[in-house]
Amino acid sequence: MPDETIEATAPAPNAAELPENQAGREPDAEPKLPMSGIRVLDLGTFLAGPHAASVLGEFGAEVLKIEHPIAGDPMRRFGTPTKRHDATLAWLSEARNRKSVTIDLRQAEGVQLFLKLIAKSDVLIENFRPGTMEEWGLSWDVLSEANPRLVFLRVSGYGQTGPYRRRSGFAHIAHAFGGLSYLAGFPGETPVVPGTVPLGDYFSSLYGAIGIMMALRHREKTGRGQVIDIAIYESVFRQLDEIAASYGLFGKVREREGSGSFVAVPHGHFRTQDDKWVAIACTTDKMFERLAEAMERPELASSALYGQQRKRLAARNEVNQIVTEWVGSLPRDEVLERCLRCEVPVGKLNSIADIFEDEHFQARGNLVTLEEPGLGEVVIPGVVPTLSATPGRVTNLGPALGDGTYEIMRELLNISPDEIKRLRQRKII
Amino acid sequence: MTTPKSEENLPLSGIRVIDVATVIAAPYCAGILGEFGADVLKVEHPMGGDICRKYGTPTQRGDTLAWLSEARNKKSVTIDLHRREGVEVFKKLIEKADVLCENFRPGTLEKWGLPWETLHEINPGLIMLRVTGYGQTGPYKDRPGFARIAHAVGGIAYLSGMPKGTPVTPGSTTLGDYLTGIYGCLGVLMALRYREQTGIGQYIDAALYESVFRCTDELAPAYAMFGQVRERHGPTHNDFACPYGHFPTKEEGKWVAIACATDKLFARLAEAMGRPELASSSLYGDQKTRLENRHDVNEIVRDWCGSLTRDEVLKRCYATGAPAGPLNNIADIFGDRQFHARRNLMSVDVEDLGETVIVPNVIPRLSETPGRIRHLGPKLGEHTDSVLTDLLGMSADEIGELRKKRVI
Repeated sequence: MPDETIEATAPAPNAAELPENQAGREPDAEPKLPMSGIRVLDLGTFLAGPHAASVLGEFGAEVLKIEHPIAGDPMRRFGTPTKRHDATLAWLSEARNRKSVTIDLRQAEGVQLFLKLIAKSDVLIENFRPGTMEEWGLSWDVLSEANPRLVFLRVSGYGQTGPYRRRSGFAHIAHAFGGLSYLAGFPGETPVVPGTVPLGDYFSSLYGAIGIMMALRHREKTGRGQVIDIAIYESVFRQLDEIAASYGLFGKVREREGSGSFVAVPHGHFRTQDDKWVAIACTTDKMFERLAEAMERPELASSALYGQQRKRLAARNEVNQIVTEWVGSLPRDEVLERCLRCEVPVGKLNSIADIFEDEHFQARGNLVTLEEPGLGEVVIPGVVPTLSATPGRVTNLGPALGDGTYEIMRELLNISPDEIKRLRQRKII
Repeated sequence: MTTPKSEENLPLSGIRVIDVATVIAAPYCAGILGEFGADVLKVEHPMGGDICRKYGTPTQRGDTLAWLSEARNKKSVTIDLHRREGVEVFKKLIEKADVLCENFRPGTLEKWGLPWETLHEINPGLIMLRVTGYGQTGPYKDRPGFARIAHAVGGIAYLSGMPKGTPVTPGSTTLGDYLTGIYGCLGVLMALRYREQTGIGQYIDAALYESVFRCTDELAPAYAMFGQVRERHGPTHNDFACPYGHFPTKEEGKWVAIACATDKLFARLAEAMGRPELASSSLYGDQKTRLENRHDVNEIVRDWCGSLTRDEVLKRCYATGAPAGPLNNIADIFGDRQFHARRNLMSVDVEDLGETVIVPNVIPRLSETPGRIRHLGPKLGEHTDSVLTDLLGMSADEIGELRKKRVI
């Protein structure tokens, strides 16, 4: 497809003056989106990094998933298998909006081919162990020579620098190393998985995507790309509010808090009469006052009793006991109704079955259904956030291995059909 | 990496952000924009200000550590938006702003005479981030929401804890706030890009529960296709891979995390355990076999970890490249070489406190235009006079009058 990539390799001063994705571009069939005209090469595996490509793709970027010709991304085998032999459900959902292009970067010819793609791209995302790309002859120097405007996101367990940079890292390890896992569970008991295993993959990808957006802005001003270096553990650690500050200043080591919180009471999960759970979060005194009203015990919020957060924190067990008893005496729906009537911050602890029944999820379009040949309907989480003028969209689920290889080789790199055939035979693509 | 460039060269230099939001979610978006060069004006109520000032551990100054850390780089300007004159001053600020971050309950800005239409008319290029518990639409939009509730509604609280036990906090009560701040920030950056090409601003509608739900991998598709309801798994996560979890070591209270996502990684672990035969195809070489025999496999790993100190387990794992790490507490983190080498802990002097406060440094790390922390959370109203004078050109008399009436 004709596009701005001619401009992308043009000398910097010229390039800097042009609005980046308008030069010589054919009008798209779909309305213009913020990332239209941006081509992203996703060389990552699993989720840490690739989720950045997903979000950019949802908002209009063209995303090419670069995969090994035989194995493909191991994410294709991670999660619940489907009738499609190359796709788990996790792959179908999280490799959304991509084309798959196979190139073997362990072969010199594959590397040369890849550099041609780099010259026509805007963003490269990778998450190999630091040093791997360099071993293949794809250091930043080489990449930025092939395309000085390239923006390069590197995600790894521990980052590109520091003594642990070569260690293998997954979100599960990063949750532990970054201090989150230590905090999940009951005091003195087994630390549990903080909700889901890949949280840190999403965090690091999102920070990476922010880095990409910043770098694209900078490129528009200067014509030059740059490297974004994010460690998964850093993205986990960054979410832990004042844990560092309070250890630094007061030597306080935060411990596991069970279902509660160190800053506010009552603030936790409570079991209802019908053996379901609700979350209640009285972050402020006003919220507690409302809860006391919902419990029909307004006196609890008096200054003589538990009106102030300070007093509730000091009497944590008593306050939690009162709430536990009240919640336990009513079915979940009744607790919710009474709390909502008084505007208490309350919510169901939704299982995925609850979520599918929830009218709000439906109304907000949070569950998107796509038809996948051979599989039928696949339901995936929709796009967040919602933009008023340029909402994102899901165009396709995780692609079949190599489904875009021919098109990209032929149309973007202008390689002849015979040559493509030869590359295939040699398993370079 | 090159040396930090001057302020003017940061990606968001010249962008002005009005942060009229509270606590962490929407303000965190403004915080990130500020780290990369935006001028962030925190607009607060003259009496008390942002409730984040009271959230967490108080300092001698009154403001909490959470405030000091997360209101980094911002200027505090007090305006009472409940007053007509306050709204007029605010409108003048909007004229000169690029981004507005808010998290009032839907309808609040409208009540003050500041609906999107008005804001858009005052400044057609304005981008507004709106963060609420449930978003601007849908049946629950008016319900109060905090991250704790969003974790519950979005499905991750249900998944945290021992099987059939009490669901626990997924590590931190504010995860959903940060997550929404980041998604919101991405929305703002995309909207800025679109504005540069078209001149048109827009608003971003972000819900706390949605950003949580977005990070649940295949939870939704697996329920839709197979009716599978994921439950709490305690310290191990055995749906996709095994061994994958937390294991106690010989030392009381010291745990390690191990994550064998692939067969290759399990082979490395077997080697680290000195039992390479475990990874043979006749034993546990295949993920499928390990998942079928998860109790046996976990037991073997647990026994091995339990026989060694934490450092020894990790040393052996690192030697073979097995994916393992310590469950760090904050004291471990302060002593860790990697955190220091990456400068993840930033010491910032807070003059009026006479203390040095340690906060998480800027991420991500950009090679040409790294972000920076110039100062920590400001005192309430610290910059009101300078902003009203320099930016809005108001006279000392006008400012004095507004202050007397407690509008600012």
